[in-house]
Amino acid sequence: MTNPTDDQRFREQVLPELDVLYRVALRLTRAPQPAEDLVQDTLERALGAFDRFDGRYPRAWLLTILRNAHRNDQRRSRPDLLAQEVADRLPARGQDGTSDATVTQAMAGQLAPAVRAAILRLSSKHRAVLVLVDLDGLTYREAAEVLEVPVGTVMSRLHRSRRRVRAELDGTGALEVER
Amino acid sequence: MKRWRRRASPLPPEPSCEQVAAVLQAYLDGELGPQDTERVAEHLEHCRRCQIEAETFERVISAIRRQRPAVGPEVSERLTALVDELAPPADAPPKGGSSAEGPPA
Repeated sequence: MTNPTDDQRFREQVLPELDVLYRVALRLTRAPQPAEDLVQDTLERALGAFDRFDGRYPRAWLLTILRNAHRNDQRRSRPDLLAQEVADRLPARGQDGTSDATVTQAMAGQLAPAVRAAILRLSSKHRAVLVLVDLDGLTYREAAEVLEVPVGTVMSRLHRSRRRVRAELDGTGALEVER
Repeated sequence: MKRWRRRASPLPPEPSCEQVAAVLQAYLDGELGPQDTERVAEHLEHCRRCQIEAETFERVISAIRRQRPAVGPEVSERLTALVDELAPPADAPPKGGSSAEGPPA
């Protein structure tokens, strides 16, 4: 990009999202350096596609690029995984486009045990919404854009997910409220 | 950004517990419009049962969100520098060394 005006617009859209991009990249790659590399790849791709970006929901747009870049990285680095990935993903992905295996791997080792166990027991489509909203910090509208579902679907899946996590944590005493 | 609730029917002035429960997650996430937010808040002030429900979900959300990895300042600096390189700020010196132009008068 050589036009200073475009550069400025790109900066305005991207700079506020860097932390979110890194957090998501870290969750996907599970290591700091690959996470930074993935963010760099994402930013370069975003810059190349910026003239086609309509300016709405930059976070959702960037996260979609990041997830696609990560998927391509995985295929390049581990071609032997491709067949298995396809086989694994078909039943797990549902209609939300989020790889169940990716999310599951990313969760491992990062969440406190009880919370992690509760999240991992969610179905892939419910877990995807919970992760986008509660871990990645997306608004309902942004999560809907990423998952290509209506906002009402995000809302209902999130409610159901949190109810299930609550049910899992209820017995631990962690959620007791003074009555 | 429009809130999803603004496109749905608004809550009545005195919503029932069921109506509040239906929008409680959006309320806790700050996703309701101002009028609905006010109506839910008012309901919670007077309904101990819904208040306990809201407090419990706040704890659930908090427990989940505590797992967000923090981004260190040095990482933020490196990522910002990367953006500077890809799309230089307006006040950045031109690439490739010194400019033929002199300093501003």
